[in-house]
Amino acid sequence: MLEAKNLMVFFENALALNDLSIEVREGEIVAVLGSNSAGKTTLMNTLSGLIVDMKRKEDRKGGVRITVMGSLHFKGEEMLFMKPSERVKRGIVLSQERHPVFRDSDVMENLKIAGFLRSRAETKARIELVFKLFPVLKRLKGRRAGLLSGGEQQMLAIGIALVANPHLLLMDEPLLGLSPMLQADLARAIKEIRNEGITVLVTEQFARPILPIIDRGYVVENGMLVFQGTRQELAENPEVKAAYLGL
Amino acid sequence: MSLLIYGLINSIILALYTVGFSLTYGISGLANFAHGALYILSGYTAWSFLNILGLPFWASAPLAVIATALVGFLFYWVLLLRLRGIALAELIVTFAAGVAILELLTWKGFYGIRYSLPLFLRGGVEIGNVAVDYQRLFVVATGILLVILLWLFVHHTKIGLAFRAMAQNERTALSIGIESDWIGSLSLALGSALAAIAAMVVLPLGVMESTIGYEVLIYALAVAIVGGLESTLGMIAGSFIIGYGQILAARYIGAKWMVIVPLAAIVLVLIVRPSGLFGKFKELEERV
Repeated sequence: MLEAKNLMVFFENALALNDLSIEVREGEIVAVLGSNSAGKTTLMNTLSGLIVDMKRKEDRKGGVRITVMGSLHFKGEEMLFMKPSERVKRGIVLSQERHPVFRDSDVMENLKIAGFLRSRAETKARIELVFKLFPVLKRLKGRRAGLLSGGEQQMLAIGIALVANPHLLLMDEPLLGLSPMLQADLARAIKEIRNEGITVLVTEQFARPILPIIDRGYVVENGMLVFQGTRQELAENPEVKAAYLGL
Repeated sequence: MSLLIYGLINSIILALYTVGFSLTYGISGLANFAHGALYILSGYTAWSFLNILGLPFWASAPLAVIATALVGFLFYWVLLLRLRGIALAELIVTFAAGVAILELLTWKGFYGIRYSLPLFLRGGVEIGNVAVDYQRLFVVATGILLVILLWLFVHHTKIGLAFRAMAQNERTALSIGIESDWIGSLSLALGSALAAIAAMVVLPLGVMESTIGYEVLIYALAVAIVGGLESTLGMIAGSFIIGYGQILAARYIGAKWMVIVPLAAIVLVLIVRPSGLFGKFKELEERV
């Protein structure tokens, strides 16, 4: 479904992604594990196209020089330099880290905004799906998003991405900063999202909460791929155990 | 009684001056210092449609609004695109463009009694014992209607919702497929159209000349600074404070104080509370 080959991303002369190749097959849940500043967010921005937008804006005002190289295929189409809106149309949607929601809008309006590229009927159906996955959002639909708790905002951020109707949902550290119980709940929700026919690529600092739900995983350090394998292989690898499972 | 009525009219005129300026800023963070120039340019455009092309006013006015919106839209793609995100550069460019428009109009001889737009409504009515002409009531009605329509537009249409999204969180908006340059140019077009609508209803009250462009910019700035730039309620409150302040000053101190009130308000508010009386300390809030 998604095939990224030899991705290189520079900010000025600093290398953020170093010859990184990953693949996601239809129907999978794939994890990218890595510590802070390993390149997880840069990878997500490269896959979602946000980096193309950043690059364009920096270029035109003569700011930070961003260089992107490699190849990126989604359903057979090359899209490394395609802008984010075009990728959303084709079904790649990113839910960003630290649950950025529209804080002054209520929950319902957040979800409606997310249907920008979809028809009214489609948006309505997607919102129903979000309410089914996260019943708490339905209860809070009239509340301003800025007043939600961290966990609720995270659900809303995922909900926003879901309304945009992804085939491949990119989730950047969805479990960051949540309590272990909430993490387990959200991990279950991610599995349900996959059961709705949506392929998921998720990044995380710690493997433990998501290990039970993933099919495969990649470990990234300093922008480089250092390990890849199935859930089983990840769980048994001694280095992964030490660094990302805290064992 | 007359204080109350004329204060209200004056406040709504100020709100009309400001609404486009503050809308563009609220959505895309773009302070359009050509706002006043676009206001008077739309008046000149309507006058040209009326007197050179011979169109009736009911056709010239909407055409002038559309033309001004188009100017705002092109402004974005031609002048601003490469500077987006550099606030000072945006300010210099829009201000320079505004001055260019105004001086061009002056150079073309755009002043004097022959430049005026016809009233939508003639005649007047007495409210209590105060005589008010229909055109001024029409201004009030337009102001109120515009606020209601804008609210509906922003909350219940796709583009309106995208405006709200871009105003709140650009990156999240981007990641669901909303494009910042389209929204930016549309917000500038809408802001310009609002300036033109204000011009169509307010300009018939007097004679047109290019210097009105500077006045409108100063009024819009005063209202925006007093009310705080990011809230609609602040904008309305700002209009009323300055609007009534002007009328009161004119009545009890002297007519020339009409001009001083907005300028004094700018200075006072910037000293006492730079984020506006109703503005939020946004940066502080975000750090918490």
